[in-house]
Amino acid sequence: MEKGMFPQWVLTDPDIYELELERVFSRTWQLLGHISELPNPGDFVTRWMVDDAILLVRNRQGELKAFLNSCTHRGARLCMSASGNRKAFTCPYHGFTFNLDGQLIGVVSGDQIYGESMVRSEWDLRPLPRLEVYNGLIFGSLDPEAPPLEEYLGHAKWYLDIFLTRSDGGMEVVGAPHRWVAPANWKMVAENFVDPYHAQYAHRSTIEVGITPRDPSRTGTGYNVVCGNGHGIVLIVKEGVPKYQNLPASMWPMFERNLSREQLEVFSKTALILGTIFPNFSFNCPLHRRDGQMYNYLTLRVWRPLGPEKIEVISWCLVDKDAPKEHKEKAYKAYIGAFGASGTLEQDDVEIWSRVVEVSRGRMVRDKQLSYNNLLNYLMGFDNIEPDRSFPGPGIAYPRTYTDHLARGFHEQWLKLMREDRRASGQAERLAAGNGGEDR
Amino acid sequence: MMESGTVGSTGSGSVPVSGMELYYEIQRFYAREAWLLDRKQYDEWLDLLTEDVVYRMPVRISREPEDGQEVIEEMGYFEENRESLELRIRRLKTSSAWTEIPAQRTRRFISNLFLESGPTGGEVEVSSAFLLLRSRAEDEQVEQIFGERKDVLRLTESGWKLSRRTIIPDQTVLTVKNLSMFL
Repeated sequence: MEKGMFPQWVLTDPDIYELELERVFSRTWQLLGHISELPNPGDFVTRWMVDDAILLVRNRQGELKAFLNSCTHRGARLCMSASGNRKAFTCPYHGFTFNLDGQLIGVVSGDQIYGESMVRSEWDLRPLPRLEVYNGLIFGSLDPEAPPLEEYLGHAKWYLDIFLTRSDGGMEVVGAPHRWVAPANWKMVAENFVDPYHAQYAHRSTIEVGITPRDPSRTGTGYNVVCGNGHGIVLIVKEGVPKYQNLPASMWPMFERNLSREQLEVFSKTALILGTIFPNFSFNCPLHRRDGQMYNYLTLRVWRPLGPEKIEVISWCLVDKDAPKEHKEKAYKAYIGAFGASGTLEQDDVEIWSRVVEVSRGRMVRDKQLSYNNLLNYLMGFDNIEPDRSFPGPGIAYPRTYTDHLARGFHEQWLKLMREDRRASGQAERLAAGNGGEDR
Repeated sequence: MMESGTVGSTGSGSVPVSGMELYYEIQRFYAREAWLLDRKQYDEWLDLLTEDVVYRMPVRISREPEDGQEVIEEMGYFEENRESLELRIRRLKTSSAWTEIPAQRTRRFISNLFLESGPTGGEVEVSSAFLLLRSRAEDEQVEQIFGERKDVLRLTESGWKLSRRTIIPDQTVLTVKNLSMFL
């Protein structure tokens, strides 16, 4: 990566994938959802962190809790619903019942058959090691030693805040996410959201018919902001774009109250804010056409790996809670016109991602001796562009979006984690020893 | 009217007198629609839609009965009117709609037609089952999507037209890589 190249075979190699599950996905923060999906006590959603089934609930005190969605008795999946509201969860296998705090509160025929031999509190649901919320975004981590979420997000927070905090009521999820399975590798897809270079050609059809704004990205004007920890933010900035992403003028005083002068300066000139939070959470806060006008919305997406060549896409649409009803409706329709399973941009993205994986299995992309060129090209902007030190936001801002700094940052972080063997450093042993007493 | 290799028009412009005749006309409408979409004759398909057509496909989620409805009306895969359908079709006709270059081969199977109500006011409500199989490039695996459609068909001077369609997928996680087709 220091040379701007990345081996193609690494994308979909099965052994690399297994190592990614251990060294990337067991140690990083991943998006679970948004607080507007579970506003009331008893509300829950079920999600996946790769292969871990997660039950995310709001308890009676209004606190968020996350557990493995698996009964502690014999392991059956506890809750089959994607969302709902409950007082307790009962396993269908033997009837063990758990409350919203994950405590085992009901055992069929319990006292007669278990007697003193079972201490109920030892059989509570298994909590997700880490759960934190940042301005409405709910993240989880399997790593008890993960840094605090805010520290992990680092410089990216300033940019996320532009859309997460611009409105008094924040953002709210519309309905439920789209979910579908696609032939793709999660890295290539995460990288796609920090690669504005593809838009001009891959999405040419949507520009031609006016779904995507005609110019903003054509010359790569704007900023690529390297935020550290593998996170990258793209700002498509151009003079003449509609102020504050064409959101209703009635909302502007609210934006100007909630954002800093520097954030407003960026926000007012920006057509699209998009990016990837390492490893597999991407977002886009763009402008797309519906019924003759451009509307802004936010899409969050998790690229859930289902193998080296397969992902499940979970794609949410959010709108400003304080926006007028008509705006929300049009914004939602603009979203499905562009993103999600039916989106006219995403239709072509998925097709192209599948074209990458289908030709990355062979000998010629793997064998250096054959080496026609088994390295992929990340050379754009390698030595011909300097950061803009006067840029008002944090991170390292390159004043052009046609550069590979963000993709390189993503893959450098990937490589850093893939090289860290905690077992070798003894950390895993210490953890195992610490948990030994609780082993069941 | 003769059936032939080309897909003919349907309907005579007047409400059929017998139930069997009505059912036959509706069945012909769906067969013709499926042929047009499988052959990607989108302009002819648009001719089968009313000007005020509402074309929807809500998202479905997994739910145990106590947790509420599976169909989420607030979020859809499609939430289209005539203008937005025409926009999607204009895009598919460009030389850079990559998902259809080369064109994906589809076959729609529309069955289990059931006339829910009508004809009243020149409209009938029809439920049908759909199965769409799709073959891409030289893939050995076939994609599929299936479910139920609830339609309102309206009799116009140029025959039956679709004025409302709600597509309910049977899957909560779709196993097609995109929805570049119409269902």
